[in-house]
Parts: sequence; C-alpha cells; structure tokens
Amino acid sequence: MLAALALSANVYAQEESTLDIGRFAVAGYGDVTFVDAKNENSSIESRFVPIFLFQLSEKIHIESELEFSIGENGETVVEMEYADIHYFLNDNTTITAGKFLLPFGQFGPNLHPSWINKLPAVPGIYGHGGNGSLTPLIPVMSDKGVNVRNVFKVGQGKLFTDFYMVSGPREEAVVVGGAGVPGGHGSIPEVAFEAAKGDNNGKQAYGGRVAYAFLPSVEVGYSFYSGAYSDDGKLNYSANAIDVNWITSFATVRGEIINTETDFIDPLDGEQDLFKRGGWYLQGSWQMRQLGKEVFNPVELIVRYSELNDALAGKRWTLGVDYWLEASAALKFAYENTKLEDGDIDNRIFVQLAFGF
Amino acid sequence: MKKIKLITLAWLLMTHFFAMPVSSNEKVSKVAEGAKLYSENCARCHNARPASDYTKREWSVVMPHMREKAHMTGTETLAVEAFLDSTLTADVKNSRAADVAPQPTRSAEELIAQFGCQGCHLINGEGGNLGPTLDGVVQAKGKSFVKKKLKNPKFNNAASAMPQFPMTSLEIDEIVEFLGQK
Ligand code: HEC
Ligand code: HEC
Repeated sequence: MLAALALSANVYAQEESTLDIGRFAVAGYGDVTFVDAKNENSSIESRFVPIFLFQLSEKIHIESELEFSIGENGETVVEMEYADIHYFLNDNTTITAGKFLLPFGQFGPNLHPSWINKLPAVPGIYGHGGNGSLTPLIPVMSDKGVNVRNVFKVGQGKLFTDFYMVSGPREEAVVVGGAGVPGGHGSIPEVAFEAAKGDNNGKQAYGGRVAYAFLPSVEVGYSFYSGAYSDDGKLNYSANAIDVNWITSFATVRGEIINTETDFIDPLDGEQDLFKRGGWYLQGSWQMRQLGKEVFNPVELIVRYSELNDALAGKRWTLGVDYWLEASAALKFAYENTKLEDGDIDNRIFVQLAFGF
Repeated sequence: MKKIKLITLAWLLMTHFFAMPVSSNEKVSKVAEGAKLYSENCARCHNARPASDYTKREWSVVMPHMREKAHMTGTETLAVEAFLDSTLTADVKNSRAADVAPQPTRSAEELIAQFGCQGCHLINGEGGNLGPTLDGVVQAKGKSFVKKKLKNPKFNNAASAMPQFPMTSLEIDEIVEFLGQK
C-alpha cells in the first residue's frame, strides 16, 4: 500500500521532473552598422557578441560575454565584456563575483546591446564604441569585483538594490593632447575605466544603485560610483546618476542625468582642483501598431535628445525608425545632428541591422 | 499501535487524495502567475522574447541570467519558466496532431485560465497590459482575424511576444465564440 503510494507520488513528481533543466546555453547579439558622416569617410562596422551561460546548480549560474570585432588594421579584436558567477543566496539576494557590467544607470547594464538599444548609436553622454564628435561622460562600465543584489517588496512596488566593490578607475596611460577646451585636452583629467590586470593604486572603487519600481510601468533609480584613480591613490573620480523609466506596452520614455567630479592637479599652480562635468538624455519611443494598420505593425519611431554641459559641451538630436523583423531583430535607420559648443555641426546617417539570438 | 498505523494510513491517503487536484490547480495558477510576471517584467528593457525563441532546457539556463537583470526573486523566476514551458509542447513545435480531435476537450474558460491570456490581456476589464484588451476584439477585428492570431501570433506582427499556444482548431473556435460574447 505504502509502496503504491510512493510510486504514484513519483509519477506526479516526474511531471515537474528535472529533464527539462539544462546546463548550458549560447545566446548573444550582433550587428552590422553603416555610418555616413560629412567630415569622415563613411564606414561599415560589424560585431559578433556571443554569451555563454552555464547553470552549475540551482544556486550557481555562470555567464560570460565576448565581443568580436574588426580592428583598425584588419585584425580580429576580442574583448571580454563580462565573465562572472552568480550565487543565489536566497529568494531575494544574489552575490555576483568576477568581471561584470556595473549596475550604474540604465543604459550601461540594461540597454546597450544593439537589439535592445532602439537607436544605432549610444546616448551622447555614454561612450561605448564611437560617440561621434561628442566626448562622452562615462563609458559602459564593466569591472572586476563583487556585487550584492537584493529585491524587496515595499508598499505597492519593488525596491531594487545593488552595492558593489570593484578594482576601480586608473590614470589614462597616454594623455591625448590637442583640441577641445581652451588650454588643450590636457585640462580634462584622463581617467581610464577598462578593467586591467591588477590595480594601479590598491584602492577599490565602490558604488551602487537603488531603484523603486511600480511594475510594469515606472522605475526610478539613483546610482553612485566613487574611486581613486591616480597611481598614488590621492585623486578621486566620482559619478552619480538618476534614471527615470516609463514603460507601456507600446511606448517608452527614458531619461538619465549624470554628474561626474574628478580631482586633478592644476598644471599651472600645482594645486589640487575639482573638475565637474555633467549631462543628460531623454528618449521616447512609440510603436506604430497603435495605428491599427497592418503594414505599420513592425515599425517603431524613436527620438532622443542628449546634452553635455560644462567643458566639451554639445547638444544632439537623434531620430530613428526601426523595422522589427523579429522580437529581437531590427533594421534601424537614424539621423543624428550634433552641435558642439564651438559651433561645429556634425550630421550623421546610420543604417544598422541588429539581432539578438 | 494498530490505531496509529490506521490513522497514519488514513492521513496519508487523505493528503494524497487532496494533493492531486490541488497540485494540478497549482500548476495552472503557476502558469497564470508566470504569464502575469512575464508581462510585467519581460518587456521593460527589450521586446518581450516569445517562448518559442528557445527550448525549455535553454530557457532554464537563460532565466537565471534574466532573474538578475530584472531583479526578480527565485520564486518569480520559476513561475515565468513554468509559463514559458506551458506553451512549448510537441503540438506547437511539430504537427498539430490534435487538429483531428473530434471534440474540443477544454472549455474556453479553462483554456484562457490554463494559458494565462489574462497575464497579458484584459478580459472583462481584468488582467495585464502587455497586449491590447480582448474585450470587444472580435467585434472590432472579426472572427477570422482572432482565429488567425491564435493559430499564428506572428502572422501580422513578426515581433509579437504572444506565444503560439498548443490548442486545436476547435479549441480556438471555442475561445473566439467566448470572446465574441464580450
Ligand atoms: C532590466 C532589464 C531587463 C529585464 C527586465 C529583462 N531583460 Fe532580458 N535582457 C536584458 C539584457 C541587457 C540582455 C542582453 C544581455 C547581454 O547582452 O549581456 C537580455 C537578454 C535576454 C535574452 C537573450 C538571452 C540572454 O540571456 O542574453 C532573453 C531570452 C531575455 N533577455 C528574456 C527576458 C525575459 C524572459 C525577461 C523577463 C523575466 C527579461 N528578459 C527581462 C535586459 C533585461
Ligand atoms: C505573453 C503575453 C501574452 C499572452 C499570454 C497572450 N497574448 Fe495575446 N497578445 C500579446 C501581445 C503583446 C499582443 C499585441 C502584439 C501583437 O500584435 O502580437 C497580443 C495580441 C493578441 C490579439 C490581437 C489583438 C488585436 O487587437 O490586434 C488577440 C486576439 C490575442 N492576443 C488573444 C490572446 C488569447 C486568446 C490568449 C490566451 C490564449 C493570449 N492572447 C495570450 C501577448 C500575449
């Protein structure tokens, strides 16, 4: 009798069996981009970015992403964008260790892959590949360290928190002299963010993001980041950001404001000084399926305004039309107009085929 | 001693007996809960990826990645997986062998509950907002449109997040009739 019970219990257990649990999956994205700029030769760039995902156990997950592109001299360039391990401590908490995309703002960790970024170019304040004639505030940051992530139910919404400690920024090895602000580019402190082997000053950078979300439509986040960058560990770089996201099933509005502060030694008097630079962008998108005309179902319209203030200021409008071939593949067209503070104008046209797989 | 054995047996039998219907209901409600969580979480950063993009096994490895991005709990992640799995059956991937079934085996209400339509759509004013409301959709767009949409959600929108459900033609007719009365 008991044996029979045990057996039949087994049958039910099998419906939820582990047969459908995998160990390994390959995903990723890629793109081909054509850019036509007035002051430069038009160009075609192509990238292939595979993601390798492993599930070692219910508690342990490994992810890594490699970016393959073609370098200036025709060589294949490989970059490790991230390679990290997640440990799911409990239902709400995850500890991540390795090289990971820093949860700073929205664009860096969540929106930059080309099948997700609705425009073929990055927002003016971010650097990740070319940013045309604008000098970005901050790169899409990926660094080595540890992150602790939590999710809490608070009131009607959810509270997301991330806190991390990473190797941090370094002094730029080569200072590029030349145009830009009066006094030359040299008066902009050169801070490097690409993770490198070891650390230049033994001081870690720390940061985090705290966000509140009313799912599915609203999320507001505050991010901060701070770390010593000079070899002697005395000069500090810090940044903070506010991101606002409004999402419906057919339209989105997203914005980010970023401010940065960098210590530097004034070459004229040898005194330590603070260099401040800020900027923001606002982006809206709208799916034409709202018109109820079948031909427009796969078409989405996008507009973005970016502004960089203080030194190397600039303003940029980007207008885009996406034709979705799949939920994760689009043919994107965009026109970009950039006005620099010295009055220079830079117009570009982009055509991009982007796909996630 | 005998008494205790009997009571234990009776208790085991009872829990087993009641456990059966509860567990199958739980499964349905887990799928419905998963559909709701999917519609609330999975189109926030990118277009919602349809279940058919990956196999069940691949989803089980992709979902922990997205648990992190979306700041979901482990429990929520499993519910989304259950929802994605629910539509990935042989009927959909291969042939519609069930098309030849002479009778619909499930009622419209059962199907709607089972596949979590209300995770993504309003029906009787209740449900999610990832897709448009289904109240009045048959009147507005016609029976044949709704049938086509349920047979192949991508027929009019290649980027559709709506899954292709493992349903027979007769079952699709049931749903269309049901929605026609809304
Ligand atoms: C906070 C933003 C965010 C949310 C919310 C989100 N995703 Fe993603 N998703 C991403 C990013 C970013 C990538 C690309 C990962 C990369 O390229 O490193 C991605 C990639 C994917 C991929 C491609 C495979 C992979 O792992 O890269 C799938 C499938 C996917 N998401 C499904 C989902 C599902 C299902 C949900 C809901 C549970 C979801 N996403 C919620 C940001 C998000
Ligand atoms: C994962 C979310 C999801 C689920 C679950 C889902 N749908 Fe959808 N559905 C959508 C989305 C998104 C759209 C709109 C985009 C498109 O055209 O595909 C849509 C569109 C539709 C349409 C066309 C509506 C119109 O006005 O064009 C119908 C009809 C429909 N769904 C019926 C159903 C039924 C019936 C079920 C349950 C058996 C269901 N859906 C389950 C996401 C979903």
